[in-house]
Amino acid sequence: MFRRKRKASDFNREIEAHLQHESERLREQGLSKEEARAAARRAFGNVMKAEERFYESGRWLWWDNLRQDVRFGLRMLARNPGFTVTVVLTLALSIGANTAIFSVVDALLLKELPYAHPERIGTIYSRTTGAESYDGRRNVDGEQWELLRDKVPSVVSAVSAFLTSGVNLQTGSQVQYLHAGRVSAHYLDVLAVHPILGRNFSEDEDRPHGPTTAILSYALWRTAFGENPKVLGQAVLLKGEPYTIIGVMPEGATTPLNADLYTALQPSREGEGGGTNFAAIMRLRDGATWQQADVEVNVALARSLHAQRFAKSNPGEQVAYYCVSLQRGETSALRPQVLALMMASGFILLIACANLAGLTLVRMLRRTGEIATRAALGASRWQIQRQLWIENLLLALVGATAGIGVGFIAQRGMLLLLPEHFLPVANVPLDGRVLVFTLFLSLLTSVLSGMLPALTTRKLDLRSSIASHAVIGAGSVRLRQGLIVGEVALTVVLLAAAGLLIRTLVHLETMPPGFNPSGVITAKASVDDVRYHDPADFQKLLNESLAAMREIPGVQNAAVGLTLPYERALIDGVTLSDGKEAGQGVSTDEVYVTASYFDTLQIPVLEGRTFTDGDGPDAQHVVAINQTFARKFFLAANPVGRYLNKNLLIVGIVADTVGSSAGRLTTDAAPLTSEETIYLPAAQVDDARFLSTVHIWFQPSWIVRTAGPVQGLTAQMQRALASVDPNLPFSGFYDMKDLMAGTLATQRIEVALLTAMASLALLLSAVGIFALVANIVVQRTREIGIRMALGSTIQKAMIHIGTPGVGASAVGMVLGLLICGGALRAMRGVIYGVGVYDVLTIVVVMLTLSAVTLLATMVPTLRVARIDPAKTLREE
Amino acid sequence: MSTQETKERLELLQGTLDLLILRTLIFGSQHGQGIARVIQQTSEEELLVEHGALYPALQRLEERRWISAKWGTSSNNRRARFYSLTAAGRKQLVKETTKWKRLAAAIGKILGPVKEG
Repeated sequence: MFRRKRKASDFNREIEAHLQHESERLREQGLSKEEARAAARRAFGNVMKAEERFYESGRWLWWDNLRQDVRFGLRMLARNPGFTVTVVLTLALSIGANTAIFSVVDALLLKELPYAHPERIGTIYSRTTGAESYDGRRNVDGEQWELLRDKVPSVVSAVSAFLTSGVNLQTGSQVQYLHAGRVSAHYLDVLAVHPILGRNFSEDEDRPHGPTTAILSYALWRTAFGENPKVLGQAVLLKGEPYTIIGVMPEGATTPLNADLYTALQPSREGEGGGTNFAAIMRLRDGATWQQADVEVNVALARSLHAQRFAKSNPGEQVAYYCVSLQRGETSALRPQVLALMMASGFILLIACANLAGLTLVRMLRRTGEIATRAALGASRWQIQRQLWIENLLLALVGATAGIGVGFIAQRGMLLLLPEHFLPVANVPLDGRVLVFTLFLSLLTSVLSGMLPALTTRKLDLRSSIASHAVIGAGSVRLRQGLIVGEVALTVVLLAAAGLLIRTLVHLETMPPGFNPSGVITAKASVDDVRYHDPADFQKLLNESLAAMREIPGVQNAAVGLTLPYERALIDGVTLSDGKEAGQGVSTDEVYVTASYFDTLQIPVLEGRTFTDGDGPDAQHVVAINQTFARKFFLAANPVGRYLNKNLLIVGIVADTVGSSAGRLTTDAAPLTSEETIYLPAAQVDDARFLSTVHIWFQPSWIVRTAGPVQGLTAQMQRALASVDPNLPFSGFYDMKDLMAGTLATQRIEVALLTAMASLALLLSAVGIFALVANIVVQRTREIGIRMALGSTIQKAMIHIGTPGVGASAVGMVLGLLICGGALRAMRGVIYGVGVYDVLTIVVVMLTLSAVTLLATMVPTLRVARIDPAKTLREE
Repeated sequence: MSTQETKERLELLQGTLDLLILRTLIFGSQHGQGIARVIQQTSEEELLVEHGALYPALQRLEERRWISAKWGTSSNNRRARFYSLTAAGRKQLVKETTKWKRLAAAIGKILGPVKEG
């Protein structure tokens, strides 16, 4: 209720009416006009007072007071710009950092997936207990997919490839390289995505060798087909084959695959379905529960050959399958990182709170005189407190507004850092939820930082406060020192964490790559194309395109490899034919390469030879292995001359190159490792089915090495490829730095964000120490004057004044080290090539903080030198 | 007038003014000055009602919706704000009157009969 029903003027009119009535009555009793009026007034009492009481009973009053307090607060803040700017900047930076991080947390972990009833969409996890424990998302093979589809009645199941594949789409004379998502029938039903045109894939279209059909994303429909509704039923040339367009997805609709277009997966038990290469999703049917689904999934999958084989070869291991919400399944990889960042930004907020509390406390003490005067003039304790809180809230509001601005910029910057499709969500908005969070945060900050100083005013002694010029008490210095101890300790933790991540990134980026990465440019093309299913056609493409590229002036060499260093590689099983482990199947990275691959990348040959043009389809099938493979499976024996898979002759050992560990089951592997790898000559890959399956998953790279920069190299590479096949586009051109950056994207972002936050913490701590010391200088000017008059040197005075700041910081550093001892152990999973207790990191952190502390203490103590003892003494 | 000036009148007990106002209005609507006069006359000039205190009390009762107010014309042809009892006010009056009577009786028992002289 903000509005009063009755106006003051109405009340005054009533009083006037009363006085007239009363004086008329008195005149009737014989009094004169003036006497009657005076008597009426006397009987009424104090008219002003009645009006005042009426006014005070009104609810307008607090609004008026508020307006007054706000006006006064704004004037006070404007009069003290140094304080105001420091506080607003502190709030803006800390709240901005939190806003930006929270927007990502919100989009990733809190917000529901953009599908109807997302809580009813799940995916499959498995928990293996025993010697090799594993708990995580589980892909399924062809047989398991059939079991899920047919034996789990509680859910509608669907599968997809777990990554998109690069494909060529020809529309008219244009061929473009696109990302295709291969999904089973009902996949879009599970997500509850309904095409705006046409329909989803039918079960018939999802059968092996069924009709080839495609569903377009809205974006592709617009860019490539001009939103033409007549595309339905049209055939387009996709992967060299005609595909009939049967549907268009709604605008903004997305899937976990986030593809440009979708084709039917057509899963079977053969080929791709022979391994666990399908990602399953499912929607709970009406009336069913996840508990039912868990039981059914367990029963169904335990029946599968895959599970039986696993049980046979791993006795004692228990496997349990269970359903997990798709939300968690999609974000589990990023969850720990994001939560760690959230925690770091929480630290920032705490540090900011400590700083603000310190600053507000000083301000309050400086205003002791003013507050005492107001109290002496009759202001109640509540009125004084209200004034102080209003000033706090004003600052919080200004800070929050600035924080939203900073947060917006920080969030944009952060998203720019991320590679495309890094986050499994379509967009990260700064929406109402984030703004509410920010507002809540700034109120919390203001309450936390205002509480301490507000409490201290309760112990205000009127007489002494007015009489003496507010002297900062020893108690408040100790309180502020305590705050600084806390913030410095948190800063130590953040700096140490950032330091460890930096060391990890440096370790990964400076890992010997095992080849010469400079002077190389690479490009991928999709050969998942009906024209290249025949190995002979594919080899012709390789030979002719490489010959054309070697013709480009400045090009030293050119080669093709299925995958490159820094990239995720194909994992395949081979059988060892020799040694004591003969007959054992092992899994290894496998790469087919042209003969020139090792020369082009300059991978050293350690033993034997690599491939020559003589290793053709009809010659003895050969293989080269890397050092890790040799060490792991042949120990001290010389593997050259031995066999793999009975008939693959090992002809050489090459140096290890670094590769991505993505896609491997071992979750604790560093993102860049040197895995056991075998190389096959591309000319000898003669299994057409193997070739076409592998080309669905991987797009081979053309590699060109030049002596120096070559003008228009990429265009000439594309022309060279077009001279052999005009309908084969490259996906883009990358140098080795790009590939490394792609693999280390997560690490780079972590380092960038955590370093930014640690720097912010450092800055805030420095401001805190600076403010403490600066304040002591101002408060003690007189004392310093006396000391110097009594013979103290400037240096001694400076040390005397600076000690509280340095001391607090030193205690904070020790406390921080102790916290690090426990907290940093949580980072074990994300640091590589460096221990949790890394002496170098700790030393650098301590030196940095010491330097910053000294600087923050020195600058304000320099004022001591300008104190003139005679002047300060006379002033009092 | 001399009687009024010399006689020492009783000050109202806390909270009784509201009750008296409600009681006064039971005979029909009345303006502020009228209410004050009725209270004084009915109490045979024993009670002192400071007119200034009356209006905040009226305001309070109005906000509690025990009385309602309307501007009208008084008997001597002047504008005045007339107050009348609402249904809620009537209920409140009954409640308060009962309470007051019990209180007065209880206090009377404790004090006992006052002996003259």
